[in-house]
Amino acid sequence: MAFAATLQAHMCLQREDETLESRAEMEAFLRDVESRAFRIAVVSTRDADEALDVVQDAMISLARRYADRSVEEWRPLFYRILKNRIRDWQRRRIVRGRVMSFFGGQEGEEYDPIAQAPGPSSENPTEALARSDAMDALEQALRDLPRRQREAFMLRNFEGLNVVETATAMGCSDGSVKTHYSRAVHRLRDMLGEHV
Amino acid sequence: MDSENVRKDREFEERTKLLFERSVAALDGRTRSKLTQARYRALDELAKRARPAWSRSWLPAGAVAAVALLSLMLWQGQMDPLTDGGFDVAAVADLEILLGEEALDMIEELEFYAWLEEQVELTSGEIVEDGIG
Repeated sequence: MAFAATLQAHMCLQREDETLESRAEMEAFLRDVESRAFRIAVVSTRDADEALDVVQDAMISLARRYADRSVEEWRPLFYRILKNRIRDWQRRRIVRGRVMSFFGGQEGEEYDPIAQAPGPSSENPTEALARSDAMDALEQALRDLPRRQREAFMLRNFEGLNVVETATAMGCSDGSVKTHYSRAVHRLRDMLGEHV
Repeated sequence: MDSENVRKDREFEERTKLLFERSVAALDGRTRSKLTQARYRALDELAKRARPAWSRSWLPAGAVAAVALLSLMLWQGQMDPLTDGGFDVAAVADLEILLGEEALDMIEELEFYAWLEEQVELTSGEIVEDGIG
């Protein structure tokens, strides 16, 4: 009886250790991807608050459903969830826009200068402005790309996923990823030239 | 493709990557704070997801105890459980509910339900995708 109780306690401790380890791994992963995921979401949503919501949804969904997958699988899974969340958000926005236009109104975008103010940076103002202008141009060019090309470029170039991981995230073949990415690079180069 | 073009592609990719990384590094404090909050919300979900240790460890023991109790009752009754003589029929009915076929089916198919939920998650947003993209 005592042996059984000791064994039970040992097993409980082991499970708690595993849970803590899993939490630490998940936290490290989310900390690593969150800022880049946010910037990627901003390119698609053009709205920081919406992008934050989309990224939070994707993080919660990953933790809730895929925490037991291997750590190596998390990145492509996370970006696949993020991609789907962005698509869902875009569809909702289209529907909302139709409803608003039906009733003769339009979605208000109140500009809050304090909320939009840049954070502290080591860049001097001239450098920051140049970087901001170049990034704005890049974001606009990305928005002008076909969706699959934009996704392939952001996942491969910004997030650094390899071809196989990008294919998993996009839900397509490796060959499609290579084609979309190559076309994206050429179109962006044509659009931006030496601007970036 | 000529090597000059390949070199220009590589340089362009490096420049855009650097630009993106700088824009990430320049994120404001409010955004970073919101992202941290979002991360902790996700980690809370992770904690909720892990079933309490006591339920995981006692569930199999409970099932074994229920089966043992049923066996004991059948053995002590020394009769066909389908007849109503010899022991409390209501108690057997309760056990039947506890060990009902539907419940066992559900437990056996938990992996299927988990898979189904996962498919819904991974294919969400894909329905119109092929038609648009």
